[in-house]
Amino acid sequence: MKSFVGIFVCSALFGLAIAVAYAWVAHGEIVGTILLGVMTAALAFAASYALIAERAASLDGDDPNISNDRVAGEDLGVFTTKSRWPILVAAGAALGLCGLPWSPFMTACGLIIVVLCLWRMGAESARMNASTTSTGTDR
Amino acid sequence: MIEWMTTTDHKKIGIMYIVTTMTFFFIGGCLAMLIRAQLARPDNDFLSAHAYNQVFTLHGTAMIFFVIAPFGLGLANFLVPLQIGAPDVAFPRLNATAFWMFAIAGIVVFSGLAGYGGAAATGWTAYAPLSEIAEGTGAGQDLWLIGLLLASVSTILTAINLMVTIFLFRAPGMTMWRLPIFVWEIVATGVLILMAFPSLTAVLALLLIDRHLGGHFFDPAYGGNAVLYQHLFWFFGHPEVYVMILPYFGIITEIVATFSHKPVFGYVGLVIAAFAIAGLSIGVWAHHMFTTGAVSNPFFSAVSFLIAVPTGVKFLNWIGTMWKGSITFPTPMLFAVGFMLNFLIGGITGVMIASPPIDYGVHDSYFIVNHFHYTLAGGSMFALFAALYFWFPKMFGTQLSDRLGAWCFALMFVGFNVTFMPMAFMGLEGMARRVYTYPNIAHLGLLNAIATGGSIVLALGVIVFVVDVVTAIARRIPAPANPWHGYSLEWATSSPPPEFNFDALPPIRSRRPVWETPS
Repeated sequence: MKSFVGIFVCSALFGLAIAVAYAWVAHGEIVGTILLGVMTAALAFAASYALIAERAASLDGDDPNISNDRVAGEDLGVFTTKSRWPILVAAGAALGLCGLPWSPFMTACGLIIVVLCLWRMGAESARMNASTTSTGTDR
Repeated sequence: MIEWMTTTDHKKIGIMYIVTTMTFFFIGGCLAMLIRAQLARPDNDFLSAHAYNQVFTLHGTAMIFFVIAPFGLGLANFLVPLQIGAPDVAFPRLNATAFWMFAIAGIVVFSGLAGYGGAAATGWTAYAPLSEIAEGTGAGQDLWLIGLLLASVSTILTAINLMVTIFLFRAPGMTMWRLPIFVWEIVATGVLILMAFPSLTAVLALLLIDRHLGGHFFDPAYGGNAVLYQHLFWFFGHPEVYVMILPYFGIITEIVATFSHKPVFGYVGLVIAAFAIAGLSIGVWAHHMFTTGAVSNPFFSAVSFLIAVPTGVKFLNWIGTMWKGSITFPTPMLFAVGFMLNFLIGGITGVMIASPPIDYGVHDSYFIVNHFHYTLAGGSMFALFAALYFWFPKMFGTQLSDRLGAWCFALMFVGFNVTFMPMAFMGLEGMARRVYTYPNIAHLGLLNAIATGGSIVLALGVIVFVVDVVTAIARRIPAPANPWHGYSLEWATSSPPPEFNFDALPPIRSRRPVWETPS
């Protein structure tokens, strides 16, 4: 996890450095300064979140000397192999966007499809997680 | 069919990405042949001006948004969980959603061809205010905008999914500093996507608002700013170039190390170089706007020059990896070497046009067409074919022919260079890009005829590849688990891998777990 945090902290610091350098060299050119500033703020948010999340994290993948025997049988959770909802969410999103220039009704239909399918997808995921003990993927 | 449409298995989704991108590659290639047919001789009228505008717009859009960038992410979809020893990606349903958004996005963009007024005709950059004209242009431009909005959201979702997978789903012992270089390049690409793609989503949404909801963000007549469009577009557009190259750097590194039968030289340097390229690429967007006079040319020129340094580091590492290695040259390695030679030319012309005085001279000329094709076609596309030949046995359980592969490479390498090298001279002679015809002055007719001849040879190379794939699938000779004596984890499982990837993981004690596992 340390590398993960490092990537975002370094990216945020680099973003800050390049934003300041740009503002200075380009005499405060407004568009580029705002673009780099917003990007830096977003990276700083990600870095802060990573720093907080990292405190409680402990991953087998970070231990260079771990043996497979020690983690054998570890429950990795449920990995679904099929779901009908993703293609419907994508189709709904496309329908909704296609309606934007021409038909608010189409946009509304698309939005409803996306919301319903996401809801069903969430329910499907919850159902699978509830039966984790019988179908979970182990190492 | 239903099984594939409802799958959330990362391997199947990866294969669907690759099949979809290759379909768009063939469509984009056919459009390129139409361009070359039109430009084969001066004052030609094979295509009308409007048809030509649509053809080059769709060619660029297809190759950038639906081939080169998504192929890298599609390959990552297939490979990343295998290379890090995970059973799948972190969010399998999100992964499937992103794929279908991408596939539908392509259909939406190309569906413009069927409507009144035809497809979008404003180039892959769709500069405002030209792209803001809504009246009389048909639905093509809107469909282009909507398609790319979907594609950009899909790309962001895929990047998040891959990064979470890499950070949290590594196998025991697969520390970050043991990750294969391809996986590191995907991390750098993911960071880059998160930094740059929101800008694309925003600029497309603003353009849609301008066109249909009464906005005037980019319309100077109402106090808008057309240069703002360029800023927002290129803030995405230049990092996008590196989204289209970083995964391919990873592919080349894996292939060069495997066929040099040596560990990667300068592993840490390669990782740092990937992140240096990603970081610096955020600060170079306005080198596409030198000639507007509205940007700080010294700043963008300096950062553009700087980006050549980490790219040079990568070349040094590839050469160092090959140095005193026991090198063999099966088809993937041929394409990898072809990549290095072509990309070097693209890189050098890139350094040239990073200099504003040179850029003022060659801006919007065929010199630029030569430059970006050497990086993205001679570079990324050659790496794409290297990847297909390298991982085809792992994906499909059968191997492509090395003999046909060598022919494919030879035809593509010769065809590519004969097509695109003359374009540097056309540009220096002053031939502008994106014009549908030209007068017969300064050898332009001869240079264009040579380029069209080269494109036919290049197309023959692609046809040989298709024959190779069809033959391999028809013969179905089973491939072994590790046909190339590869070192990363995907070679430790069967070809193709089982559901959830591994029956048993080997112990991971180094960056080359397969080489260090007794067979």
